[in-house]
Amino acid sequence: MTVAIETRGLTKRFGGLVAVDKVDLRADAGETLGIIGVNGAGKTTLMNCICGLYRPDDGDVFVAGERVTGQPPHVVAHRGIGRTFQIPRVFRKMSLIDNLLVPVLDRKAHDAELIEQAEAMLERMQLIDLRHNHAEELSGGQQKLLEMARMLMPDPPIVMLDEPFAGVHPVLCKFMIDRIEETARAGKAVLLISHDLTSIYRLSSRVIALNQGRIIAEGGVDDIRGNPAVIEAYLGT
Amino acid sequence: MELLILNGLVNGLIVGGIYALVGVSLTLLYGVLRVVNFAHGEFVIAGSFLAFVLFTSFGIPPLLAVPIAAVVFFIAGWGLYYVLIPRLARSDDPELMSFLMFYGVSIAAAALMLLLFEADSRTIDYTFTPVSVQVGPIYVSTARLVAFAITVVVSIALALFLFKTLPGKALRAAIMNPEAIQIMGVDIVRLSAFAFALASALAGVTGVLIALVFPAFNPFSGAEYTIIAFIVVVLGGLGNPVGALLAGVLFGLAEQMATVFLPQAMAQIVGFLILVGTIFFRPSGILGVRFKR
Amino acid sequence: MASPSRAPDSADRIYFTLTALMGGVLLIYFASVPLLGLNVAFHFYLMLWITMASAFNVASGFAGYMPFGYVAFYGIGAFTTAILVKKAAFPVFLALPLSGVAGIVLALLFAPTLRLSGIYFGIVSLALAGICRLVITNMPEEITGGSFGLQLGSRAHPVQSFYVMMAVMVVALAVILWLSRSRLGKALRATRDDADAAEMMGVNVPIVRLWGWLISAFFPAVCGGVEAWYTNVVDTETAFNTLITAKTVIYAVAGGLGTVTGPVLGAVAMVWLDELIWRQFPLLNLLILGLATIVLVLFLPRGIVGTLLRKKPQWRRYIP
Ligand SMILES: Nc1ncnc2c1ncn2[C@@H]1O[C@H](COP(=O)(O)OP(=O)(O)OP(=O)(O)O)[C@@H](O)[C@H]1O
Ligand SMILES: [Mg+2]
Repeated sequence: MTVAIETRGLTKRFGGLVAVDKVDLRADAGETLGIIGVNGAGKTTLMNCICGLYRPDDGDVFVAGERVTGQPPHVVAHRGIGRTFQIPRVFRKMSLIDNLLVPVLDRKAHDAELIEQAEAMLERMQLIDLRHNHAEELSGGQQKLLEMARMLMPDPPIVMLDEPFAGVHPVLCKFMIDRIEETARAGKAVLLISHDLTSIYRLSSRVIALNQGRIIAEGGVDDIRGNPAVIEAYLGT
Repeated sequence: MELLILNGLVNGLIVGGIYALVGVSLTLLYGVLRVVNFAHGEFVIAGSFLAFVLFTSFGIPPLLAVPIAAVVFFIAGWGLYYVLIPRLARSDDPELMSFLMFYGVSIAAAALMLLLFEADSRTIDYTFTPVSVQVGPIYVSTARLVAFAITVVVSIALALFLFKTLPGKALRAAIMNPEAIQIMGVDIVRLSAFAFALASALAGVTGVLIALVFPAFNPFSGAEYTIIAFIVVVLGGLGNPVGALLAGVLFGLAEQMATVFLPQAMAQIVGFLILVGTIFFRPSGILGVRFKR
Repeated sequence: MASPSRAPDSADRIYFTLTALMGGVLLIYFASVPLLGLNVAFHFYLMLWITMASAFNVASGFAGYMPFGYVAFYGIGAFTTAILVKKAAFPVFLALPLSGVAGIVLALLFAPTLRLSGIYFGIVSLALAGICRLVITNMPEEITGGSFGLQLGSRAHPVQSFYVMMAVMVVALAVILWLSRSRLGKALRATRDDADAAEMMGVNVPIVRLWGWLISAFFPAVCGGVEAWYTNVVDTETAFNTLITAKTVIYAVAGGLGTVTGPVLGAVAMVWLDELIWRQFPLLNLLILGLATIVLVLFLPRGIVGTLLRKKPQWRRYIP
């Protein structure tokens, strides 16, 4: 197994608050790493540090063994990291097809070829009938799907999903779970943040639990499920 | 030289007081309504023309014109609010669209004044007796001193209103958190209309004072005051009334001192540079506190 | 960009047919104005405003900025041509492209402002235009002609400058048409809608914005130059007049930001309206311009084309 993504001692502070505290994580190709933690534990901030949106105060991020710390987000993206957002961030006044084209604008391929790929991806996400609509005309759940499609479009080896199931109907939720499973099976490293522990336990091969920016537990699903520190963080004060 | 500097200081304080008023009304408007009144300078100059008409046609002295302008502009502002603002909220980007709309208001207002008063510069031929008063080693025109006194009174009244009265507190709350205040059961539309009316009244009063302090004004002077208002508002922190008062005085002082040492055009450029520099290096204003956001 | 590997679908066919049709009509109409003895001055300015509004659209509709000091580019272009022709005896045809270059240089100087957004950008842009005007006004009289401005001498040539203006308009529209379908255009739009998200999707946001900004600055600068040549005189009062920004913005908004046809249609409709009103009531011109802006923002904030596309979203693919 090759290590697709790794962080070492990753730290991010906001003023006095340590939002991410010396986090070491790694995910191999084809592996899904679940990330759990209460609100404000630092999960989103961790992703923002990995993809270059925030510059970490300390520590490093490696993609396929190469250091990308401090690189601007578009450079990190080209190294092969795709992501979705906790609150969908689609390109509101662009058609769904154009939304999907944005991450592949630098590809050599012909436009028509890329458009075909985009249509295939929309087909897969069951959004094909809306392909010429503007993204702002989609429902919240559909926007989550669109984000997922946009993330997968450039076929990145690493994908990060921030709360993909929040506010999503169970039927759509099931659909998304299937897509995420497919993605992992296709050999991508998946980082998955969710408060929905059932889905996390089902999808992840390993889980890390964050609390106040620090990893308090790490291991297989069964280790985490019974881990007293996790139970404490989730249920305790 | 010392005399020149002293002169600059005194005039800076007087002019700064006026700038403070120009800025505070604009910042109130932005704070509560999130609209950028590009026509603010024209509102102000309309106040000057009102004083001009009151004096030349009816013989009403500028001192009496102050309360009249306040009332007239308050009512006009209240009406204008209901014509302009509610529809604006429906557009995609109300903040930017407000900028554009008031751009139109500014053109229309300047054009209207041009039609009514023509392009010539106007002065109000009203003189106080004595014409000037000795302050320490320098002479200051009585008109300017009177204007300054009014500025101070208006500022204090405004501050008392904002911090000591219920509607004032509601306004400040609306600036800090417009969503919350609606939940608390305040009628935000009426409050906004009131803010618009209040800002207009302040602009009108400022216009009367400008007619007292500055030698002349014409329908196109508005643009200058709009820029000054922007400078003051940005310096004070967008939507921060206290900041605007301070920034106005500060900018007035800086500008008057600049005219002592620099040629006129350079002094103007300094104003623009302060504006650009503030936005780049201190976007939350000199006080460094963000009222909102 | 690259030629499609398959036959264009029917929407593309309609799009290209419509584009060719509208382009053809525009071309033939303007080309025949001097030949048929129509009003050259009116059509010269019509083309100028079409170009200005369209180029403005790149900054506003595509990139999401509201440069309220847009006139700076126009003014710098006007003075570049005037100074080069008058003081350095450059031929006009060399001076005009250099006006465009001057616009680009100015745009590069202003590039740091692209980090700002919304009203902050608008206000700074306005202030920078003010600085430009003051700097040029206060340059030595031997260079800029002081408050009297510069006379270009007997170099005016209305018909020639008419066709040059037409060429500038055609190039501007072609570039914007290309941009609207190009990858750069998509990147710009993505950046406008959500810059951070675009960046995390691999878009080099600062570079993309800069390109949009430069395109948007080049054409008004050339327009300024051509107009200086056409009228034969340049001074700071007119070349840096805020009304130029006002008209540009209003025409572009009237047509609808973000589409290629919008600003063209907006300029045609408003310039024509302006002319009509101006003839009837010369004094009311400014007042009506202001009122028109207010009415536009309140009742047609998406402009003619934007409103149409809102009602008929499926037409988005047909209309350039
Ligand atoms: N841009 C920021 N500036 C200041 N503080 C921030 C910023 N972003 C996050 N924080 C703080 O960092 C901490 C971690 O936030 P983060 O968004 O990473 O939490 P999270 O684990 O994603 O929570 P949730 O489950 O609610 O999404 C919080 O205390 C938050 O207030
Ligand atoms: Mg989060």
